[in-house]
Amino acid sequence: MATIGVEHVYKVFGEDPEQAFPLMEQGKGKAEIQEETGLVVGVQDVSFRMESGALFVIMGLSGSGKSTLLRCINRLIDPTRGRVYLEFDGERIDVTSLNKSELREVREQKISMIFQHFALFPYRTVVDNVAFPLEIQGVDKATRREKGMEILKLVGLDAWAESYPPKLSGGMQQRVGLARALASEAELLLMDEPFSALDPLIRMHMQAELLNLRDRVRRTILFISHDLDEALKLGDRIAIMEAGRIVQLGTPEEIIVNPKTEYVANFVEHADATGVLTVTAVAKQVEVTKEPPKGLGISRMDPQPAAFAEGDGLVICLDADGKPIAAYQDEVAMDFKYVTDDLTTVGDETVLLAEHDTTLKELMRARLATSKNPVIALKEDGGLDGIITGQEILLGVLEKGRKEEAE
Amino acid sequence: MKRDRRNSRTFPWGRPAAAFVCLLIGASLLAAVLCGPAWAQQHGVSLFEQIGTQGSLIPAEDWIDQAIDWIALTFADFFDVVRSVINNINRGLLAALMRLPVWGISIGGKAVAIPILGLLMVPYLWWASTKWTGIYGFVSLWLIANLGLWEATMETLSLTLTAALIALAIGIPTGILSGKSDIVEAVVRPILDFMQTLPVFVYLIPAVILFGLGAAPGVVATVIFAIPPAVRLTSLGIRGVPKELVEAGEAFGCNYWQLLFKVQLPMARPSIMAGVNQTIMLSLSMVVIAALIGSGGLGGEVVRSIQRMLVGKGFVAGLAVVFIAIILDRATRSVGEKKM
Ligand SMILES: Nc1ncnc2c1ncn2[C@@H]1O[C@H](COP(=O)(O)OP(=O)(O)OP(=O)(O)O)[C@@H](O)[C@H]1O
Ligand SMILES: [Mg+2]
Repeated sequence: MATIGVEHVYKVFGEDPEQAFPLMEQGKGKAEIQEETGLVVGVQDVSFRMESGALFVIMGLSGSGKSTLLRCINRLIDPTRGRVYLEFDGERIDVTSLNKSELREVREQKISMIFQHFALFPYRTVVDNVAFPLEIQGVDKATRREKGMEILKLVGLDAWAESYPPKLSGGMQQRVGLARALASEAELLLMDEPFSALDPLIRMHMQAELLNLRDRVRRTILFISHDLDEALKLGDRIAIMEAGRIVQLGTPEEIIVNPKTEYVANFVEHADATGVLTVTAVAKQVEVTKEPPKGLGISRMDPQPAAFAEGDGLVICLDADGKPIAAYQDEVAMDFKYVTDDLTTVGDETVLLAEHDTTLKELMRARLATSKNPVIALKEDGGLDGIITGQEILLGVLEKGRKEEAE
Repeated sequence: MKRDRRNSRTFPWGRPAAAFVCLLIGASLLAAVLCGPAWAQQHGVSLFEQIGTQGSLIPAEDWIDQAIDWIALTFADFFDVVRSVINNINRGLLAALMRLPVWGISIGGKAVAIPILGLLMVPYLWWASTKWTGIYGFVSLWLIANLGLWEATMETLSLTLTAALIALAIGIPTGILSGKSDIVEAVVRPILDFMQTLPVFVYLIPAVILFGLGAAPGVVATVIFAIPPAVRLTSLGIRGVPKELVEAGEAFGCNYWQLLFKVQLPMARPSIMAGVNQTIMLSLSMVVIAALIGSGGLGGEVVRSIQRMLVGKGFVAGLAVVFIAIILDRATRSVGEKKM
């Protein structure tokens, strides 16, 4: 698989970009530099390396330099300083040092791109649009068509092959854009706000489609968005940009739980965290003792519990590895059910077990379908992590998992 | 803009002040005209026309005369080649047009001409415009043939097409270059302005000196007159291609020529075709004027009619020009928007 790496990339727009560097070293900001010299700092000292096969999202407000950074990667814009490299199964290509024809070849074979306003060619039919990268690669007409139709089927638009793009709705046009990018067989996909021009409903649909498609065609995707909800939904990792720089880089959960700057916190404030936060972030720790609580007849139990935990009226019996084996509420034995189980025929005497990567959204849905009993949160190894009640869920939603502050 | 206007209205003294300044300037001008001559006499300054005219201070006319003579002599071979190329294209086109026969049938002892070109025109005009334009094309060519102007019309047509072809062959590539490069645009733009504002009669004369009599000087003058819209509209079309589409072409690995032929030219086609249409129309109008230096055709008929005061003959020839103009316009107007 392929990856993209970026090292200390700068892009300064204007007549004499070198002028801006001493000022940047003095720690002057984008606005100051523009006022003093008239130069616009588009991207300032950005470094990151994508995981192979990952979906990496760059997020930021308008003008923060997202498009500029993206275009530095396939050099539609030449970076002023810094390195961009691509890796393909060990082979490393230094994009910044390529000459014109090498660069053309890399664009033709290795990277493709999807645009905010689709950038379809209105004078070409849908299938000819999709086959455009193949035409540039010099593939013959019959193969081109066949391949184009195949990919159109993948995005569900084969019936529209002979139409012209302006006749299609926005969502359909962007699916054609997606198909065109897939047609080139490049392993790297650059997407510049591909869904921003779409209606919210179609947008959600396209996001789901992208995730679905990603499972079928393995690609490494660099995705730009100005919408944190979209970034949280799609990204394996997210880089947040402000005024040309990356101010925070992390997994969706890291960003939600621990926003590093006020700028990021502002975004997080308005984001929907329930699809991102996992039970690990909200579980309430409980004390584990060897002493059996009073009134619990442990002699009848098989196997014998090694330890006990108690909280919110729930007594949890643990085995030697710390894994829950039974639970009692008011001395009544409860059934165990996993959040992921079929929960349609579950009675009141049930306790839910949530694995470590269960999101709050999944948990809330499961609780809605069953009982309001406390939920047992598990660690990655299956051991007891803690207990979650309605209170923890609410705190998680309102405080985005920042438990310390909440208490 | 709106706000500016409101501001000037809120300043109550704005308008009276302006009126006062105008009055002041007017009064001083009046004073200068009335008292000027007396003042000049007193101080020994004569008026310009009192000095007498032994030629102007800057004898540019002579310089240009000499330059043209020098160019005509030095590059005589080059102009010969150009002339023969133009004449050959024109003769070839005319021969091709005249090869299409005009059938004649006799109705009640009168010969009625039926031009084949008119029949061939119908389906094309129908496709390019409407059914009615197709019918119009046939009717107008039929009229021309039966007015006895067929040969003159074909001459005009072949001259127009020759000039338009050459103008487009030069103009479109120039337009492409100037659309792609700001430097070329900066050089070409003032030249085009010059070509478009220079009165056409001015370069009819040097054209005769450089290319002799016949079709060539007329065609050359026409080409100069008709090139600007081809260049301008091609450049405009190329520059008007949305940035994202050019980026898309580049992002998928287009080279210079692929970008030009697969992205820029197809996107610019409506604009380029508008340029083609204008170039052809300007060619036609100029070819008629070029009859003044003997290039013949319908313009020749008009010029001869003026010289001999033949009102009817001149008017009919002028009408034929209008017929042809409408056909050429409809034939090229909306082709740019059609899917091919
Ligand atoms: N060609 C250019 N010349 C001068 N300045 C530019 C140019 N392109 C971008 N900029 C500036 O660089 C900065 C970053 O722009 P960029 O387009 O990368 O922002 P963005 O994050 O993609 O914003 P948006 O969400 O609006 O697309 C902006 O301040 C912009 O004004
Ligand atoms: Mg952008």
